[in-house]
Amino acid sequence: MSDEYVLDATGVTMRFGGLTAVRGVDLRVGSGEIVGLIGPNGAGKTTFFNCLTGLYVPTEGTVRYRGTVLPPKPHLVTKAGIARTFQNIRLFAHMTVLENVLVGRHTRTKEGLLSALLRGPGFRRAEAESRERALELLEFTGLAAKADHLARNLPYGEQRKLEIARALASDPGLLLLDEPTAGMNPQETRVTEELVFAIRDRGTAVLVIEHDMRFIFNLCDRVACLVQGEKLVEGTADVVRGDERVVAAYLGTTEGAAA
Amino acid sequence: MHELPQTLANGLLLGSMYGLIAIGYTMVYGIVQLINFAHGEVFMTGGFGALTAFLMLPSGVSLWLALPVMLLAAVLVSTSVAVLAERLAYRPLRGSSRLAPLITAIGLSIAIQQMVWAWYPDAKQARTFPHLPGGPYELGPVTVQTGDVFLVVAAVLSMLALMWFVRSTRTGRAMQATAQDPDTSRLMGINTDRIIVTAFAIGAAFAALAAVAHGLRYGQVDFRMGFITGLKAFTAAVLGGIGSIQGAMLGGLALGLAEALAAGYVKFLPGLELFGGGAWANVWAFVLLIVVLLIRPQGLFSKLTADRA
Amino acid sequence: MNTVTRLTKTAPAAPVVQEVSPARPASLGRALAAAGGALTAASTLVAWTWTPAFPGDLTVNGWPGGLQVLTLASGLLTVLAALGAYGVRGFRWAVPAGATTALRLFALGGLAVTWFAVGAISWTLGGSINVEPGGWFAAAASVVPVVGAFLLPQDPRVPLKPRQLPSWAELLLIAAAAGAGLLVFTYGIGTEGELFAGFLITAGFAAAGLAKAGLLARLTGLTARHRTTASAATLVAAIAFPFTGSDETYMSVGVNILIFATVALGLNVVVGLAGLLDLGYVAFLGVGAYTAALVSGASASALGIHLPFWAAVLAGGLVSMLFGLLIGAPTLRVRGDYLAIVTLGFGEIFRIAVNNLDGKSGPNITGGPGGIPNIPDLSLFGFDFGATHVIAGVPLGRFANYFLLMLLVTAVVVVVFQRVGESRTGRAWVAIREDETAATAMGINSFKLKLIAFALGAALAGVAGTVQAHVSYAVVPDPYQFAGAVPPNSAFLLAAVVLGGTGTVAGPLIGAALLYLIPMKLQFMQDYQLMAFGIALILLMRFRPDGLVADRRKRMNDEAAGATA
Repeated sequence: MSDEYVLDATGVTMRFGGLTAVRGVDLRVGSGEIVGLIGPNGAGKTTFFNCLTGLYVPTEGTVRYRGTVLPPKPHLVTKAGIARTFQNIRLFAHMTVLENVLVGRHTRTKEGLLSALLRGPGFRRAEAESRERALELLEFTGLAAKADHLARNLPYGEQRKLEIARALASDPGLLLLDEPTAGMNPQETRVTEELVFAIRDRGTAVLVIEHDMRFIFNLCDRVACLVQGEKLVEGTADVVRGDERVVAAYLGTTEGAAA
Repeated sequence: MHELPQTLANGLLLGSMYGLIAIGYTMVYGIVQLINFAHGEVFMTGGFGALTAFLMLPSGVSLWLALPVMLLAAVLVSTSVAVLAERLAYRPLRGSSRLAPLITAIGLSIAIQQMVWAWYPDAKQARTFPHLPGGPYELGPVTVQTGDVFLVVAAVLSMLALMWFVRSTRTGRAMQATAQDPDTSRLMGINTDRIIVTAFAIGAAFAALAAVAHGLRYGQVDFRMGFITGLKAFTAAVLGGIGSIQGAMLGGLALGLAEALAAGYVKFLPGLELFGGGAWANVWAFVLLIVVLLIRPQGLFSKLTADRA
Repeated sequence: MNTVTRLTKTAPAAPVVQEVSPARPASLGRALAAAGGALTAASTLVAWTWTPAFPGDLTVNGWPGGLQVLTLASGLLTVLAALGAYGVRGFRWAVPAGATTALRLFALGGLAVTWFAVGAISWTLGGSINVEPGGWFAAAASVVPVVGAFLLPQDPRVPLKPRQLPSWAELLLIAAAAGAGLLVFTYGIGTEGELFAGFLITAGFAAAGLAKAGLLARLTGLTARHRTTASAATLVAAIAFPFTGSDETYMSVGVNILIFATVALGLNVVVGLAGLLDLGYVAFLGVGAYTAALVSGASASALGIHLPFWAAVLAGGLVSMLFGLLIGAPTLRVRGDYLAIVTLGFGEIFRIAVNNLDGKSGPNITGGPGGIPNIPDLSLFGFDFGATHVIAGVPLGRFANYFLLMLLVTAVVVVVFQRVGESRTGRAWVAIREDETAATAMGINSFKLKLIAFALGAALAGVAGTVQAHVSYAVVPDPYQFAGAVPPNSAFLLAAVVLGGTGTVAGPLIGAALLYLIPMKLQFMQDYQLMAFGIALILLMRFRPDGLVADRRKRMNDEAAGATA
């Protein structure tokens, strides 16, 4: 039964010296779900993400992906099937859009140095396949026309989309999105919403950190609220929205202006 | 085996010299993440500054009177070189790639070495450095020279002063802040430019101290003396945990001890008979560095800090 | 709501030109530039000095000699650019990106080299009395085009898309460019002292002018479209070098440049592609050289075996790679800056070690300071590399033979560099260089990939070292230091890569050639060479940190910046 959960985090705690940033957080994400993670700034959301992806080794607790405990090394976590985007966009600025996505594909291909030097038919086939898959993803995110542009020259909204496309290139079972609509206008936010639905429909579960309440409540099957490193409440959108403690922790209205 | 105390003493003396120089490396690296390649030359020019001061004093002046003047001159020269380097060579490159400042530092190091070689009178060979009067002192099984006493006293006093400075003065605390988060520090009103220059200057002053000690101990200054010693001092800084001032001194002591012990005792290890002695001491220091990096990459004496993703 | 103004990439319909004052300065400027250029060129046909004591023989009326040839070249380039500025039919191709800056550079180049010549004559012969009226005429004439060029208004054209030429024409152009390159190189290698200095000045201004005129960009476009032909043309030109009849000294220079350039290219894999700071790279060259020396039948060799050449090369590469793995494995796991210090340390340790493995302070493996002498010459398939052979009517001596052999190695390294640069591995390296955290989040095992880069670089240097061992007859510890007056050493290698431009093939090759020739040819500056080198590094990083040859990504970046400006 445990592998129907794409993500199963139990008792995750992260301590830095005297500071406990994340305290005993449990979270489960089933395949086909979109789960939201909200909370005021500094609540430990990104730290929690970093614990999931191996960037930090949790002081306590375990993280399981489809039943297996993940080794705390980011590249192995991605290989297992969890991909992520970053709060501050971390694209490969001097690579083209296509190259960024090709790099995302790295863990699903295996042609190494020898193959690159010999350039046999296997190498050519692998490169062609990777390109095809990458272009497909660019189509999916609406960036196909800019495949040969340098990533740093894209406008902000498209950079965010590129990050998502790059993360999807590793065929993940779970996608972690860290504030994907930060700095976007309502129109762009709506487009992102549709994109996330499409991602879920393709078979990837999504766990998203956001401050935009409307976005979160439209999108997510379940929402968890983190305050000062602890999970305050978890449930459907209505349950969380109505909880007084959540409203108190946030200074926003239920209209949910973007932070 | 009866040499052990003497070997240890030599190691500690050598190590304190490395430590003094390492402080300069660690302070600069801690704040601007730059390996100040030219710091070895800051050390070297300090030595020549001291020599020049000595030569300019009327002959027959007691060395005890001359010493403070020489120290002052050394500090002046070192600090000028370091501050000029920061202002003219490093500051314009702040914010650029990692490679550019490193290459600049290498160029600076080479250029300064060559300037001394070409323009300082008779610097093509080593130049003799004065000797402190007063015979060798016997402290039990250990013999020390007067210069060594000077080194130990100077090292201890200056370390204490620096610790006080960093902990208790405004500038010192500002330096810590800048090292941890330069952008926020600037927003808090800290003049990061001035802090950086201060770091360079303090590091240079310590290197000058070490240079005078070096001159007194070995009896000469040489335009090349910055290169290997500088390299070892940076190794010491890494060993102790880069960015940590205590780490720099402790790393220096550790390195000095390792070198002295290796030079004296490796030849007793089976199979390594030919690898002892001064010739191979540097090799063993390097091996030590590799081993430490393998086992404890953050340095022997540092504390783990979090890294925000 | 943001509105983004989109600019199309076609040529603007109506260039926005600020109608600054009268058009007179422009036409006057063009006239002066053209006439001045022609005059300067013509002035080289008269004598500039009365005695052949000044090198190059500038005493002949009716024929340019020595430095006059350089002035002639500058003058002709000025005229060419001026004709382009006039928009004369048939010459518009000369300045696709705008004439003004190019004209200024060519004219300044002519001025610089002519006045340098006159100055050099006065200096060496002891007084300006030794300059003939022709020389003064040249000095005056060379001012004219400069005045003219600076009268011209700025000409900021958007570079026109080149007219598509038929394939055969493009291939011919590439071949011509390769040929021109060979000529320039052969000329440069054959000059000494003042002439070399003048050559540097002219070549520098000319290259800058060609770049600003947009011609270099055109050439790069051509080579990008016809990669195989461009590579073949360069290879043919390189092979032709030994057949140009230069004597053995220049062949020796040529082969050493090639070795230096190949090692620089290997370093480019480590520094340029993967972004790893290696400050002790020359040690890998040394490991390869010593390995080859030990296994190639030198009488002083402690191993006393004589492997065939291919096995020696393999051995050199493998042993180097092994050391690369040994050094890399502990160091690449930690912060990148530590690698710099560790590699620097390794470089020094290597030198100390080989110096002391002489039987007295250590077991006798490397022969200590004396090294391993008398490495026998190669003999492959009956071809004795040590002997002179006459091929196609040209006598090829020992160094010429080794030049051709080394060329083969260089070609292999170039292919390796290109293939690995454009592959999954190469992309991963760039990703690590750009943002290591993001790269690992994308599934890249950054430690493994950095180690591969480091080991590959070491192996390539080792292979180059095996050839070097044979070329220099003997292997000694001296050259393998961090910095010294004579390349190759680690500082010079790093400088060659950085000067040329990291991440490209042409960059380190050009950088290596320049860095090898300049200290060698400017012997009169011997005492100050290393100092100048240090200062040059500082200035280079301050004003042109990307080096001479911009790599593909920087070019794309500049293009994009231009389009959206």
